[in-house]
Amino acid sequence: MNSYQLISLEIATVLLGLGILVADLWIAPAKRRMLGFIAAAGVAVIFAASFSPAFPDFGTAFGKMYVFDGLSLFFKRFFLAAAFIVLLLAIDFADRIAVGISEFYSLILFALAGMMFAASSNDFTLMFAALELITITFYVLTSFQRNKLQSLEAGVKYLILGALSTGFTVFGIALVSGIAGTTNFIELSAKLKDVSGDPVFLVGLLLLTTGLGFKIAAFPFHVWAPDVYQGSPAPVTAFLAVGSKAAGIVLLMRVLFVAVPEVAKSWSGLLAFISGATILYGSLCAIPQRSLKRLLGYSSIANAGFLMLGIAAVNKDGATAVLVYLAGYLFAVLAAFTVISIITRNAESDDISVLAGLSKRSPMLAAALTFSMVSLAGIPPLAGFFGKFLLLKSIIKAGSVSGPHFVLLAVAVIAVVISLYYYFGVIRAIFWSKDVSDHSPIPVPSVMAFTLAVCMAGMFLLGVFPGILVDADAEALNSAVGVFARLR
Amino acid sequence: MNLLAATVDLPSLPPVGLQHYLAVSALLFCLGVLGVLIRRNILVMYMSLELMLNASNLALVAFSRFNNNLNGQVMVFFIITVAAAEVAVGLALIVALYRKRQTAHVEDLTTMKL
Repeated sequence: MNSYQLISLEIATVLLGLGILVADLWIAPAKRRMLGFIAAAGVAVIFAASFSPAFPDFGTAFGKMYVFDGLSLFFKRFFLAAAFIVLLLAIDFADRIAVGISEFYSLILFALAGMMFAASSNDFTLMFAALELITITFYVLTSFQRNKLQSLEAGVKYLILGALSTGFTVFGIALVSGIAGTTNFIELSAKLKDVSGDPVFLVGLLLLTTGLGFKIAAFPFHVWAPDVYQGSPAPVTAFLAVGSKAAGIVLLMRVLFVAVPEVAKSWSGLLAFISGATILYGSLCAIPQRSLKRLLGYSSIANAGFLMLGIAAVNKDGATAVLVYLAGYLFAVLAAFTVISIITRNAESDDISVLAGLSKRSPMLAAALTFSMVSLAGIPPLAGFFGKFLLLKSIIKAGSVSGPHFVLLAVAVIAVVISLYYYFGVIRAIFWSKDVSDHSPIPVPSVMAFTLAVCMAGMFLLGVFPGILVDADAEALNSAVGVFARLR
Repeated sequence: MNLLAATVDLPSLPPVGLQHYLAVSALLFCLGVLGVLIRRNILVMYMSLELMLNASNLALVAFSRFNNNLNGQVMVFFIITVAAAEVAVGLALIVALYRKRQTAHVEDLTTMKL
């Protein structure tokens, strides 16, 4: 099969991004904001095309560097859906960006292309290039509000810690691929028996895991997350919380389950520890937060811990649960950031007190934020519940093999209870705030109303009919390369 | 005196092996990490980060030589290119921060706190 056919989704995304950048030259500055609609429509077309029956079969391309399988297709659709909503958010956000709105759109598209390549990477070289495409575009995106000190600070903090994580990843790759003598994941798994005892190889793998841990903001590599989430423009924070995190998760799954499955099994204790610590840290630190974006930053750390839970279970249920959880997380987080983006338009701060009286000022925003928080807290019948349920189920299954996983289960259950407290703190601020100073209704632009409707529909559909998603995810994993199909 | 013809009696040293290159590379990497952790000037921290990348380059090239394949060297080309892009974006960002804040020290980045 022609390699270029397999990467047609990525090619289309990059071309779209370049097209937006070039079109900027011929369009009057006042109309450039409308390019966002072209970008969003293009992403929607690419998303629809990924369902087309004419689409090529699964296979590998470029000397097995790139793999197109069920897992990568799931993540490509996930990233496309996220980018679609983020682009709509960016259109609404455009008036708060001083210059270069077209670049803002195309950078989002380039980051999307990087995420889609990351989902398909089967080689350390491609993995590195894709990861850097995501990270470097995010350096620019996080600091895009150059007139705001907070945004610049967030950008610099992300720059230093992102580059540090790159350093760890690259040194890890150098040691792992050097000792194994190959950069390909599948070739590496074939040679794993000979090298898995080598301490240099294991140190390299640890460094590599550290680098990816930075990307998903897992404890103890989470320090950047709260500041960067708080300082970045709302659409970027949303994309960072959903896209960048999911890219880190898919790469972690690829490296651990395709390249080094036996080592991943023997490391399940370590992974369980990271997962438990991340969940607890994120949940406990979220309690005293007053800034909404910062609160969601800590909540995203806790969610990274829950996603690690499915990886630490090292079984097929865990891997399926990660995909289900991510799908629910996508809609909940994007809905929350849409609401925050609208509310902070008039109010300069994003302090939790700006929510006071929201139920009267804009019932739609109040409903969307409430559903989002309820879904993140994991309460039925919304999408977040089923993901958490499946994750806990997978860890019980893992616990029947190795005892320490039951400790992780207990930690996770306690953290769910803690998270109820701070998620409901937001809901309390919406409905039961005493001192409401501002009673003016908040106008919701039609683009944002559409975004919220899509997110709420997603949360309800995935919550009420989770079976479709679970079957699709299990099938996606069955057709994935590597050990996914053989995991118990 | 003809320098080229001059001979020096060197004690016979063991040949330089893979482990020597790796030791140097690990040393450079640790120096880079230390620099990032200890120094407080953003530009110096950024230089230390580049040192970490170059430590990896050294390890990759050494492995490439001793494994008799070109994987490592191809990877190095990618790393050099990406590092250049990263520096371009990073320095621009640091300059933008300097214009706004008149500082390049991390202690002054305190707008956001718990």
